[in-house]
This record gives sequence, C-alpha cells and structure tokens, in this order.
Amino acid sequence: MAPKPTPNGNAAKPPVEATPSNIPAVVGINFGNAYASIAVYTKEGLAECIANENGERQIACAIAFHGEEIYVGNQAMPQLVKNAQNTITGFRNLLGKKFSEIDQTKTASSAPVIQHPTEADTPAYKVDVLQPAPKPLPTSASNTPAASHAATPRSEPIPSTRILTPQEATTMFLSSLLQSASDFLGKPILGAVITVPPFFTQTQKDALKKAAQDAGVRVLQLLDEASAVLTTTTSPQWPGGAEDRTQLVVDVGASSLSLSVIALRSGLGYILGSKTTTNAANIGGDALSSLLVKHFAKEFTKKTKTALPQPPSTKEDIRATTKLLLALEHTKRTLSASPAPASLSVESLHSGLDYTATIARMRFDLLATPVYTAIASEIKSLLESIAVDPHDIDEIAYVGGTACLPGLDSHLLTSVGFSEDVQTAFSNSTMGSGAIGDPTGVLSTGCALQAALLLGIPAESPDLVQAFDEAEEVKTTARTIGMLFPTAGADDSNGLGGMYISVIHKHTPLPARRIFEVEVTLSGGEGDKATKFGFEVWEVEEGIKVDKVAPPKSDLPPSSDDEDDEPEEVKTKTITKHNFLGTLFGETKGTAVKDKTKKGTYAAAVQIEFAFGTDGVLLVEARDSKGEKVGELRVES
Amino acid sequence: MAIPALPANYAPPASTSKLTPAITQPKGKLIAAGPAFLGHLRLVRHHDGDFKKFDAATAVEREAALAANGNGNGEEDDLGVGEESEDEALLTLDPKEWKKQDHYRVLGLSHLRWTASPAQIKIAHRKKVLRHHPDKKASDTTAAALGLNMNTNDDAFFKCIQKAHEVLTNAERRRQFDSVDPVFLDEVEDVPSASDFKSNPPPFLATFAPVFEREARFSRIQPVPQLAVPRAADAEAVNDPNDIKGHAFPALKAHVEAFYDFWYNFDSWRSFEWLDKEVNEGSDSRDDKRYTEKKNKSERARRKRDDIARVRGIVDLCLSVDPRIKHIKLQEKEAREAKKAAAGKKSGAPAAPAGKSKKEEEEEKAKKEEEEKAAKAEAKKAKAAAANAAKKARRAQRVEDGA
Repeated sequence: MAPKPTPNGNAAKPPVEATPSNIPAVVGINFGNAYASIAVYTKEGLAECIANENGERQIACAIAFHGEEIYVGNQAMPQLVKNAQNTITGFRNLLGKKFSEIDQTKTASSAPVIQHPTEADTPAYKVDVLQPAPKPLPTSASNTPAASHAATPRSEPIPSTRILTPQEATTMFLSSLLQSASDFLGKPILGAVITVPPFFTQTQKDALKKAAQDAGVRVLQLLDEASAVLTTTTSPQWPGGAEDRTQLVVDVGASSLSLSVIALRSGLGYILGSKTTTNAANIGGDALSSLLVKHFAKEFTKKTKTALPQPPSTKEDIRATTKLLLALEHTKRTLSASPAPASLSVESLHSGLDYTATIARMRFDLLATPVYTAIASEIKSLLESIAVDPHDIDEIAYVGGTACLPGLDSHLLTSVGFSEDVQTAFSNSTMGSGAIGDPTGVLSTGCALQAALLLGIPAESPDLVQAFDEAEEVKTTARTIGMLFPTAGADDSNGLGGMYISVIHKHTPLPARRIFEVEVTLSGGEGDKATKFGFEVWEVEEGIKVDKVAPPKSDLPPSSDDEDDEPEEVKTKTITKHNFLGTLFGETKGTAVKDKTKKGTYAAAVQIEFAFGTDGVLLVEARDSKGEKVGELRVES
Repeated sequence: MAIPALPANYAPPASTSKLTPAITQPKGKLIAAGPAFLGHLRLVRHHDGDFKKFDAATAVEREAALAANGNGNGEEDDLGVGEESEDEALLTLDPKEWKKQDHYRVLGLSHLRWTASPAQIKIAHRKKVLRHHPDKKASDTTAAALGLNMNTNDDAFFKCIQKAHEVLTNAERRRQFDSVDPVFLDEVEDVPSASDFKSNPPPFLATFAPVFEREARFSRIQPVPQLAVPRAADAEAVNDPNDIKGHAFPALKAHVEAFYDFWYNFDSWRSFEWLDKEVNEGSDSRDDKRYTEKKNKSERARRKRDDIARVRGIVDLCLSVDPRIKHIKLQEKEAREAKKAAAGKKSGAPAAPAGKSKKEEEEEKAKKEEEEKAAKAEAKKAKAAAANAAKKARRAQRVEDGA
C-alpha cells in the first residue's frame, strides 16, 4: 500500500524549493582606448550593458592619482584639468609595446609616457602620490614620561612617486570594472571575455590577458570587435538576428575606425573584407572633438575677445582646451540623444571668463562633415576593394560612441549609396541608452553572450573551447542556391518563370543546412487524387540593375537654380538563372483547401531540407507533416 | 508560405548541370564567436559534418538537460494542481453563503481535498485569481462559453475564491472545515451496517478498508494501522498476507490486535465549530450572546460524542464480522486442543487403554463449560474496558471543550 499522506496537507513536499539561479556569472568587457563598458546577464536572463556604481555605462579609461586618493573611470577625467601630470589615459594601446615602439611626437594632455627607470625598453608612467605615513612604533607602557598636554603631532603622509607600467594601469582599471560587475550580480565573476582591436599583435594580446588575470578574473577569450558584434547581432534579442544577411560593421572609436563586411549565414559570420584605420587625421571621435574645439574656441574668442589659440601652446591654453573637451563630451551625447539643440557650458574657461553656447544638430553636422566624409570614403574604398555593391549591404551595425550620432548615419546612407531599406539601429529604433542596438553597448553585450557560451561548454569537450582561439579553414558556397516553383506563365514578374525562394546564399560556410516549411498546392488529378508537387533547384546569379530615371518633369517653368535635370540612378536587385541543378518531384496526401475561391484544390504542408555537405553534395529532401520522406534530389559538384 | 501547383504541362529543363564547387577559404575568415559557431564546431569536429549524427546527438543532449532540470520547458511545476472544469453552479456561487460552499471545489482542488499541501493551495489560488480577477473579466472565455454575463460589475466568484483561500490557508479554520468536509459527510452516509452482514455478507476487506482509510485522516497519531495486513514490498502476489489460510498465524494476530487496539482508543481531531450558529448580528445583548455560545458549545460536544459513537459503532461492527478473529479463535482452539491431546497422550495413554470413561467425559464437558465461561468473562472484561476507555475519551473531550 502506498504511504498515506498526513492530514491537513503535507501531501508532498514541492520537489525543488528554490531553483538555483542559472544566470551565468560572467562579464563582457569592451575595453576601448578611451572608453570601456561592461555587460552582464541581468535577472531577466538577457545580456545587457550595465552602468557602474556611478551610473555610467561608458566608463572612461582613466586613472588619476591625487594625494592619497586614486580615481578610476569618469571621476578621473576632471583631474586632467589641474592634475594632468598624475592622470593616466590611453594606456590600452600601449599594452605590450616597447618604449622604443611608441610614437613620442604626440603631445599628451595626461601623464607623459617615460622610459621605465629599472626595466629596459619598457614604457611607464610616473605619478606623484602621497604615501600614508608609517605608524609610529608602539611605545612600551613602562618608563613613559608624564603625559604632556600638547597634542601629539599628526603624522603627515610622505610624498613619493609611483612608477606604473601600462599593464599595471590596465590591471587597476579592469579590477575596478570587475568590482562593478560582481557588485551588480552579487556574486563573484567566473569568467570574462574582453574585446581586442584588430590591430593588436599577439604580444599585446598576451599582455592584456596577463593584466586581466592579475586583476583576478579568468579570461575566457579575447574577442576581436567584429566577433563581438556578430555575437550580439545574431542573438535573439537583436531584431532579425537569425536572418541571413550581409552586414557592414562600422566601429568608430576615439582614434580608429574599423570596418568589416560580414556575411551572416544562420548565425555563422564570414568575413568578406575588413579594414582598420588608426591615427588618421580625420577619423574618429578625437578628430570630431578637435574640430568642435576649434569651432568653440573661435566662438569664444569672438565673444570675449580673449584669444584661445588652437592648437594650444601655453599652459593656460592647454587647460582651457581640456576643459572644453570635457564639456564637449556631454554636448555630443546630448546631440545624439535628442534632436533639440545641445548646450555647452564651461565655467571659467579662460582668464576667469565663463563660456556658454548652444549648438543645433544642423550646425554640428556641418562642422563634423570632414569626419563623416572621411568615414564614408573609407567605407566606399573597402566595398570597392571586395567588389560588394553598397546595395548588397542589408544591415549596418554601428559601434562606438561617435556612431551614436544620427548625422553620421544619414550622411553615410546618402553618400555611400546604401539601399533605402538597409537596417540600422536608427531605422529599427533600437538606439538609446540600454537598448540592444545602442552602439556603445553592442561590444560588451556580445562579450557577455560569448562568455556565457564558453562557460556553458561541457568540460568533457575542451577541444571545442580551444577551437575558439584557432582559425578555422572553411569551404563556402560559390553561388546562391534557390528553389523555383514553376507557374504557368501568368505572373512572371521576376522573369524566372515561377516563384523563387533563395535557400543557401553565396558565401555560406559548409556544411550548411536550411529547412523551409511550405504549403504546396498539389496537382496531378482531380480532388484528392492530386498528390504531386515539385520544384526546380537552381544556382542563380545575383546582380544589381541600374536604371537611369529622368526626374519627373514639373509643370512649373524650370527655374534657374533647379539643376536636378540629370537622370537619377535607381538600383534594383536582380536574380538571373545560372545553373539548373534538377527538379524534385514528390508525392504526398493533402487536405482540401478551405478557401472558397480555390475550391477543389488540395494542399499539403511540406518541410523541405537543403543539406550541403563539405563533400560537395547537395541533398534536397521533402518531408510531410509526419516526418516521412516524400521526395528527394541529390546534386553533386 | 503558400506555393502554387505545378502547371499541368510542366516539363523540367532538359539538361542539368553540376553544382559549382565550393570555394576553399583561407583560415580566419570564419568568425570564431557565437552559438552558431559552436554548433558548426560540433558538427564538423565531433560528427564529421553529418547532420543526422549531429541531430541525434543534440536530441540526446537536450533530453539529458531536460532530465537534469525537471521540466525544462521553463514552465513552473504546479505540483499536480492541474485544471478543473468550472460549471455554472460553481461560477454563480453566492459569496454571502460562503460557509456552505465547498472551498476545495472553488479553488479547483477537489481531487486533492484534505491532502492538498499549502504550496498546492497557493498555486491553485494563484491560478484561479489569474482567471477570475475582476480586472480580467472581459477576457474570460469560460464564462462566455457558459453564456454568463461576466461583464457586469459582479466579482462574486472572485470573492468566493478569496474566502476559500482565507479558510484553507489558516490551519485552524482549515481543520474545522475538513471536519465537516461535505464530500466526507456524503461518503459517511453509506457505511455498512450490521444488517448487511446478516445474510450474504459482502467481502470483508473491500467493504471496511476504505471506511477506515477515510476515518484515518482525523487521527492525531499518524500513521494509522490499516485493516489489511500490509504486504511486504518484495512479496509476490502468490502469498497474499490477507488470505487467511495461507498466512502465518502470529503475524496476523499481532496485526489484528494492534488494529483494534488503535481504533478502540482512537484519538480524533475532528471538531464541529464550523457548524456553530452565528450570534445574531443585530443583537447587542450579552445574554443573547452567552446563550448562543452555550448552545453552540453543547451542540459541539453532542456532535463530538455522536462522532465518537459513530466510529466506535463502525469498529464494533467490523470486529463482530471480522473473519480473521474467527480464524484466530479457531486456530487458538485447535492449538490448545492439540496441546491437550499431546499431554493426554503422554500421561493417559498407559493409564486408560480402554478409552474415556463416562466420568472423564463429564469432567471434560465441565472443563469446557468452565473455559467457555472464562472466555465469556474475558470478553465482558474487554468490553467493559473498552467502554471505560470511551468514557475516558468523552471526559477528556469535555475537559477540552470546557477549557
């Protein structure tokens, strides 16, 4: 007999009282040269870029030493004004570099890089700090003189200097980021994935890995920026993340621009081409800032008759410029976030004079045009070099704070000539702080996703984890393969003689598989005797047709300033048949179509699977709703 | 996606060509990131790029993950609360008559009733509230299907749910309700009576086992011994311990004795506060109140007395018709006689070779009568003791009620 439950309801204990939280304790770190951001898994189970304890999503990569205090992050930035000698910025790019490799010509507004006093050919920063005074030696109780009424003099901290290598600075900075993340999660961090720029050498990567390990975290992977973007943009959180598309990644950093064209094929990313430009005069957030500083310095001079020459030379001018730069950061963010004019206000900018100004988006974009144009031309040259038409780009993924500017987006769309329905964070409105498409959070979110993925790989297959660090050699398809459902001539709108569906796109890494669920109308008899269906499998050529369309003639008499007489170019995507691979004929039982207009026709739900193996064999199978094979086609190469 | 039919006169193009061979790409072009890349790695490295093997392995993994995480579909386990149909009679309950409603039925727990755990009650309540909250009435399909107009400003059933929840989550009030559980009261109606056993008696175990199982819930001492001898877990069906003839005698006797011992000293938590009459709301009179309270108290005591008597009646009836008791007595007698016969053989065999004399026979008869008398006396004693125990229980009850 089964054990009787006790009365009044202790029937059965709930099997699991509290499910253990399955939120992975990982952090994704986007470690830029100017700004960093961190992402973790929130309680909702989604990877999200989080704010640190000061409420900042973008954390400036800066460390300032002021007396006994150490400031890390955005709090260190104001120190650049009056304590620039003890403020360290831009240390990421110096990681793993030798002192002799560093370009010494640039004047920095922060602590200068010097040769390490003891280690050969090593860059270092020298900062003045106050060391807490050593504790006085404990005095024994015996033979103590009588207590004096005068207070014991306070022991003063001792001024000293501290030598920091870029690696030590990185460790300090990363450990503050990790602290923020583990405070947010409420548990220790098990692993981290950190971004590296594409131009980092192996030595630099090793130095970064070492610095992170010194900060007390297990580095699961160093992810280059394109990979981090891929992880975010193929996640289910991203609108249309699972679709096959061609993506252009525009990563506008403070001083560099990296562009990649990636073929996304059901989550796999295949790089068609990439380009990185660093330290160019007209590219990046710093270039933009310097243009703006020039503008505001001129305005300031105009307004107050006080000279603020650019580039600054005197100490006071440098200070004023730094103040202006810090204030501009806020202005740029305001302009990205709202269409209203943004204000810039600096107290005591120069010679004790305050400065307040507003700038509208139009004026800003006008000022920023050189930067926008430079970025656009870089994109154009990349697309030309890999022979991809701008019209073939289905999505643009923006990365970096400067890419938040709507002006950049609209400038690129018009000047590069993307198609009108190209997807961007602006067009699908995933911009804005904390949203998935926010260019400042894309990288860190991707890193967090990747970290969780790596942490979730079972321990028994370490080869898989290893494989993430190795480059894979792959085969890709050479042409797009599609299926064509022939129809009787009536609606031959695409010139293919039927209804065409692209299945395996060009550049799809092999082995590839695509599964389609379609409702086929059956033929081959009357009523339920109709059991046949079929489709052709083609290799197709995708192209772009350029039509020159004359602008519509307006009824008004042509005015002299209207110079729109030259014909406009209208681009359309075209598909032409290239190779006929075969026809799949299948037979299955259908059900009557309920639609009254199609009375007497029978249809069946069919699952069509295309599997293209590495052996170069394309296997097309059709299955009915019960999973039984109803048709097959095999094509060899 | 709807696909048009093949044209009737369709003929495929005559010549087919081969696939354009795949292009081998240099290393590093495939981005090593993301779940799809992990899938690709698994497919290529562990399954040689064979989708069938990959699918099979993935299915196995998923199943293992499911087994590890209970129901892995993300749905919360409802601890077997399930869904119960709601008929019109239920949905139109009057919250003012809440004392008469079946609280378990209202919360959709009629299949669990008194065995429902607090966790299950909580889940059931949440389910009902989600469906019947006044804010959700517009989307209530059950009521619409029944043709009830739930769009009136009528949250009667929701009030019933809240009342049921209130009663069932309070241990004391739940005990009171369980004591007079309507389903239990219904079941109690068809208890077998002595007249059923006069002629053509129904099977003993099948008749009484559910009766005792039903009463067992009120026992303060748990677990309650069962009427049937429990089967050993590993015993085969061949040797049913409840089959009297095949069973070892001492085990059966011990079990039966323990069973009746327990039930004659049955300690029940059943009480009847639920049926108390309400003190007249309008009346402020203290006397009125006291009078009602007094009446309620005596009524409770009477009901408790009746309940004890009822259980005792059942046990008495069960004892009187228990075939096992008869069997035990018979066996005891046989054992005694065998012993005596053996003793007689030892002493009497050489002395009385010519059989029993008349005197001896008479003596034996007298002895037998005496034995019977003693047995009777013993039975009387046992009965008296039982009556005493009952009295004691009543007294204890009274003391408890008084306290």
